[in-house]
Amino acid sequence: MGLLARRKRTKIILAFLLPELALILSFVLIPIMGTFVISFKTDHGYGLDNYYGVITERSPDKALVIPENIVKAQPPPWGALIHNIVWVAIHVPIVVFLGLGIAYLLHDVIGSSIVKSIMFLGMVIPMVVGGLLIRFMFDGDLGVVPLLFRKLGIEALSRTWINYPQTALIALILGSVWLWTGFSLTVYAAALESLPKSYIEAAKVDGASGFQIFFKVVFPLLKHATIVVVIMTMLWDLKIFDIVFVSTLGGPGGATNVMALIMYTYFARALDYGRSAATAVILALISLIPGIWFIKRVMRSGS
Amino acid sequence: MTARVYLKNIVKRFGKVVAVDHVNLEVREKEFLVLLGPSGCGKTTTLRIIAGLEFPDEGRVYIDDKDVTDLEPKDRDVAMVFQNYALYPHLTVRDNIAFPLIIRRKQLGLTREEIYKKVLEVAKLLRIEELLDRKPGQLSGGQQQRVALARALIRRPKVWLMDEPLSNLDALLRLQMRAELKRLQREVGITTIYVTHDQAEALSMADRIAVMNKGRIVQVGTPEDIYLRPQHVFVATFIGTPPMNIIRCITDLRNNKLYLHCPGIEREIPPEVAKHLREDMELLLGMRPEFVEVHKEPGPDTIKAKILVVEPQGSELILNLNISPEDREETIVKVKTKATRKYSPGETVYLELDWTKISLFDAKTGKALA
Repeated sequence: MGLLARRKRTKIILAFLLPELALILSFVLIPIMGTFVISFKTDHGYGLDNYYGVITERSPDKALVIPENIVKAQPPPWGALIHNIVWVAIHVPIVVFLGLGIAYLLHDVIGSSIVKSIMFLGMVIPMVVGGLLIRFMFDGDLGVVPLLFRKLGIEALSRTWINYPQTALIALILGSVWLWTGFSLTVYAAALESLPKSYIEAAKVDGASGFQIFFKVVFPLLKHATIVVVIMTMLWDLKIFDIVFVSTLGGPGGATNVMALIMYTYFARALDYGRSAATAVILALISLIPGIWFIKRVMRSGS
Repeated sequence: MTARVYLKNIVKRFGKVVAVDHVNLEVREKEFLVLLGPSGCGKTTTLRIIAGLEFPDEGRVYIDDKDVTDLEPKDRDVAMVFQNYALYPHLTVRDNIAFPLIIRRKQLGLTREEIYKKVLEVAKLLRIEELLDRKPGQLSGGQQQRVALARALIRRPKVWLMDEPLSNLDALLRLQMRAELKRLQREVGITTIYVTHDQAEALSMADRIAVMNKGRIVQVGTPEDIYLRPQHVFVATFIGTPPMNIIRCITDLRNNKLYLHCPGIEREIPPEVAKHLREDMELLLGMRPEFVEVHKEPGPDTIKAKILVVEPQGSELILNLNISPEDREETIVKVKTKATRKYSPGETVYLELDWTKISLFDAKTGKALA
């Protein structure tokens, strides 16, 4: 390629790249930097005061770890960071296996697209509505879940779950399973669709049982879908806000507090922008762990 | 270890389409049988019915006189090689080959060491022992092919089923693998049913070929039978490159003798064939391009032809000729001849047919006349 042609090519590439770069710079990179700067701002210049304050905060509505009302070997509150981690630990495996299981059962079944569409609704409705629905679902008088346990004669679980610290967090986590399984199901259903039938048929001819086909062939072949589901679910769990905000506001007694809600509380209630920014940075750094791992996996499988 | 396979009156429908239409077929012990036909002829469906991946709507499947029609694939003791090989990308070559044994480890009472010893044996047979630690994604097409064969072999099944296993390979490797596959099948002595649409593959590998068209088996026979004595005009035109020339003719009664009357050809029909025929019957005359000699000068029994196109094929030539005596009409035949002299379009040549190697078909039914 001649020098002139190459110059022209460079110009064309720039013409396509520059608008996006400008947008990313002004709406993503600069705000990120801004948040970062604010998080270090203190009354006497710059320092780590905000971070120290956020981490050592003990009041139930703002504590990241070890709130002052924590009771040893007792139900929440345990602090927002711990709640987020518990959320990930319970939510991710359930969503993975439920989504995969339903997708596998519905694979190649006539009319399954109707079922899949209905389950995907959980993803489409606004999360604020989702939070309200969770309130209804676990309501002692109206909710389906307490009703079920009343029928089973388990009195402790037939009251309004989100009113009690023992059950509030798990209610929200189970509610988020209900909202999020549609995502997992959709990813797995698409992955199953693109899986060549001959893999399963070869295993059948070779003598594998249905169980073996699922665990030794199908599940390993869906590894990429699993990575996507796990990462996206983890990130969603870490930044979870809306369903907590509308259903419990982090209560009772901070038992359902999460990091994003603390960030909001500093920002909108305490008007402490420095600490709010510091919480945001901590949340972002924690989210980066699965994020970087994911990008590494994608890069490796791409090469 | 090896077995007979018998299909009795198999019918398989997909909706309104009859994919397999009353197929009867016996595959002998240790035989290499090729199911040959154009795409959509039902050959793959037939193979999948033998494997148990499809269940027939009518008819029975027998393996070694045992009715397996209602058995699941795993209970039939067959192994299948798929067109895309279906190697598990998450397992090493060693575990891919071991897979059929590993999943039945408890039933077979094998230890992992014993299984891997068997893997090594099979890998040696297929000359892939240095690939065992790799993943399928790191292998070439030909290597993947061998791994798939090894996986189909390790269990020592009664029957090998192969669904176009060579079609994903490039041309040169395909030729090589043809010979190798045939050698392996001989060595192991395993009943093999092989599906292909490639007639050259079928002719070079098969002990017997079953030609299928529109869900039916048109002819079963040795490659020689299929090539020289096609029982149906479909077989004649499907096999051979170029396929058999088919010329439309009618019978003509003169002096109490039956004549074959074709464009440019007049010939008495031998009495043993003629006794089945009447006057004014429409027949199809079939002649293979290679059983025609091309002469420069007219002879006692030659057909005048005009060269239309010359297709060089290296050591051979394919001539496209018009044998119609009228210049306005065209009756085109293809003739294969040695490229020992130059031919040019427009030239007139004289053809000498080998009348012992021609075929006659009934134009209405397409069936060969005895």
